[in-house]
Amino acid sequence: MHELSIAMSILDIVRDACAEEGCSRVEKVRVRIGKASGIMADSLLFSFDCARSGAAAGATLEIEEVPVGGHCRDCASDFTVEEKYVLECPLCGGPAFTIDSGHELEVVDLEVDD
Amino acid sequence: MKVKLVKKILAANDRIAEANRRLLSDAEVFSLNLMSAPGAGKTTLLSRTIGALGGKLRFGVIEGDIQGTHDAEVISAHGVPVVQINTEGACHLDANMINEILPQLPLEEIDVLVVENVGNLVCPAEFDVGEDAKVMLLSITEGDDKPLKYPLMFQKSEALIINKIDLVPHLDVSLEKIRRDAQGLNPKLRIFEVSCKSGEGMEAWYGWLQGRKESGSLHGAL
Repeated sequence: MHELSIAMSILDIVRDACAEEGCSRVEKVRVRIGKASGIMADSLLFSFDCARSGAAAGATLEIEEVPVGGHCRDCASDFTVEEKYVLECPLCGGPAFTIDSGHELEVVDLEVDD
Repeated sequence: MKVKLVKKILAANDRIAEANRRLLSDAEVFSLNLMSAPGAGKTTLLSRTIGALGGKLRFGVIEGDIQGTHDAEVISAHGVPVVQINTEGACHLDANMINEILPQLPLEEIDVLVVENVGNLVCPAEFDVGEDAKVMLLSITEGDDKPLKYPLMFQKSEALIINKIDLVPHLDVSLEKIRRDAQGLNPKLRIFEVSCKSGEGMEAWYGWLQGRKESGSLHGAL
């Protein structure tokens, strides 16, 4: 539901970057969205298409979804899961894990016309 | 040509949130972001809390709703300063909305500012508004599957208040499952089981709130 706010924030970042780099046409915006970030990719794509304007009026949004992953101190292994959350280490079942990916919300780069 | 950026999408919101946090902390105001689904009992919780602690702490409230002033009227009957934000469709409050409305509040007369977010279990969890603590309310009538269906809010909150426990005998809902899943998602989560209607369990919440106000902003330390 808040994907429109996220799309507008992405477009603000794109607009500032275009002003800084002096580019007038953006072809593609690449973003990384963690699976645990609460953002639905389809909804974000739709919102982006509705809100794009200016140099980004014809831009496409490319979303890289980042799975939830972490590290377990008990079995000393790194893991990634399909779910949006982890209640126990998926490998050993222990509670001593940290989550270090899956909450990303970032603009990675732009493809622009020279 | 490629332009490398690697920028946090919510950086602009987070910057404004940080400014709000500084402003509030300079005014010695402790702030709570109160989040829940619609109808969980946020306004009733606030009414009771202000009624019980109003003699010790000076409250101020920001009411976030899609439209209307019903909640603000309920709260203002307690004689505390209230401002209403109507988001006109937006499903959450963001830092800028709070920033714009803060000048309308007499911060020097407020010890605890409660931001009652728009009723929604998803979106408010994502947006820092500059609060010292996020508190979530879940009513048991929503079902015991909610922690695993909407994990983000449980993970981002410091405290979870489970409301309407007076209805437990009438429902097929497991308080134990809510507790277990919520704590599994967030081992540091403080959980209170209350009935804002009967008052059961409220003392523990009042105690926590008063203690938490004393420790102030833990942002970044959590």
